Amino acid sequence: MTAAGLADVLRAEWTKFRTIRATVGTLAGAFAAAVCYGVLFGSANGRAYLAAAPGDQAAFDPMETAFRAHMLAQLLVSAVGVLTVTSEYAAGTMPASVTAVPRRGRLLAGKAAVVALVMLPCGPLIALGSFLTSQAMLAARGAPSLALTDPGVPGALAGAGLYLVLIGLYGVAMGFLLRRTAGAVALGSFLLLLPAMAPILPGRAAEWVLTYWPTTAGARLFTSGPLSGDLPAEAGLAVLTATVLAMLLAALALFRTRDV
Amino acid sequence: MIRLRQLTKRYGSTTAVSDLSFDVSPGVVTGFLGPNGAGKTTTMRMILGLDAPTSGTATVRGRRYADLPWPMREVGALLDARAVHPRRSVLGHLLCLARSNRIPRGRVEEVIGLVGLSRIADRPAGALSLGMSQRLGIAAALLGDPAVLVFDEPVNGLDPEGVRWIRGLMRDLAAEGRTVLVSSHLMSEMALTADHLVVIGRGRLLADTGLDAFVRPGPRDTVLVRTADAGELAHRLREAGAAVRQEAEDTLVVTGMAGPEVGKVAMVHGVVLHELTPHRTSLEEAYMELTRTSVEFGGPEGER
Repeated sequence: MTAAGLADVLRAEWTKFRTIRATVGTLAGAFAAAVCYGVLFGSANGRAYLAAAPGDQAAFDPMETAFRAHMLAQLLVSAVGVLTVTSEYAAGTMPASVTAVPRRGRLLAGKAAVVALVMLPCGPLIALGSFLTSQAMLAARGAPSLALTDPGVPGALAGAGLYLVLIGLYGVAMGFLLRRTAGAVALGSFLLLLPAMAPILPGRAAEWVLTYWPTTAGARLFTSGPLSGDLPAEAGLAVLTATVLAMLLAALALFRTRDV
Repeated sequence: MIRLRQLTKRYGSTTAVSDLSFDVSPGVVTGFLGPNGAGKTTTMRMILGLDAPTSGTATVRGRRYADLPWPMREVGALLDARAVHPRRSVLGHLLCLARSNRIPRGRVEEVIGLVGLSRIADRPAGALSLGMSQRLGIAAALLGDPAVLVFDEPVNGLDPEGVRWIRGLMRDLAAEGRTVLVSSHLMSEMALTADHLVVIGRGRLLADTGLDAFVRPGPRDTVLVRTADAGELAHRLREAGAAVRQEAEDTLVVTGMAGPEVGKVAMVHGVVLHELTPHRTSLEEAYMELTRTSVEFGGPEGER
């Protein structure tokens, strides 16, 4: 018992996390979004399959539909990360938290660790929600669909889960950088969804964004096809991980030097 | 104990705290006094490692706050009692803090009882009255049974019962040998609680003294005398070295001489007195005088 350590901070942060309805509710919302949008994407793409020409039908890849909902749910996962930080600034409890844990690196690490530990099981669950509902709807329409045991599926689910762990940490960094819930959620979501604007960008820029933007690069863990670039999955993971790490380090530098 | 040395905090061209040095000793309540905006909160935030000093140091028991191995077990702080997550319960709020310093749940419940919040431990912290919030803030400060306590304006907005409770608590904590630093902008409050006073104005130290020394009979004390023979007495008193101001035809205000001496001079010269009232400077007046001076002459660098 020489000094309060990371384990103590982790317990405190876990207590904070579970005693705020906003974070828990937003996380539940991420799961609900994955399931609901999974149903919508599944049935929409199922209809599109039925209406398509035979050539297009042959090229239909059900995996493309599997994680569309997942990519929307990530916005709420990022918001969970944001809220673990900005709820403290909003309520004015950050001074008390920093007084209790004056080593700010440790406090930041505690918050990041709780979000990562929560997303470790919740990430794959959200991925599963997106996958199962979309594939069930495809099957119901008579379109090709995938089962959990199909080749590549377990890996994609694990990759999609890992992706959300990183997105949660991205939210934590955003929260520390901007300190305001509205700002951090808005900017965070905009940056996550930026690749969706690729079609309106000039060709080279669009190609770059689709290949190297951290979200599309990271999404190579579980998608292939027109909405993601052609980096290998490992390289995509590296791009996203490096980005999130850099943001966390920037957040740490700011959090350390700023008055609370 | 708390030790400040040349502590300074600037925000751009504004100096909030300037070259502040003083010690806060254990066993007594130290009142930290100054008008609103004098830099009390900024000073306390620097002691607690929340704001980084521009220069100088603040240490608690010889260490920078951030270097304390178990901060909550060594220092308890109440800065803003309203700073709670409104939806979190009283118990939850305290548990979040306690866990970070490995303070057992039993102690959390004990402290809730100590401040009289047991019956509402499950209520959301946002639903508490100001007085109850203040009690919650004090419970948080006491969680680690710390030897050093820092309270920022703890009686602000409290009802008389709450004020009395906090006064008693401060005195008890000090009597147990703890170091207690309490800020206030009201001298009348500090007069009832503090043993020692540190007064600042515009971020500068104005006084660091015992409460009784603060109002020691001094050059500001006056004696009011009424007599039909005011002209004669004024003359005799000036001869004896006092400063005399004639307030009205029959009224003199004497400075620089105590009541008994004034009476003696009157008797020697056969002047009949109608009234002789020594007027000791009150704490409030001494404080006003001190801080007024700082307001008039304290800010040549354009401080707020």
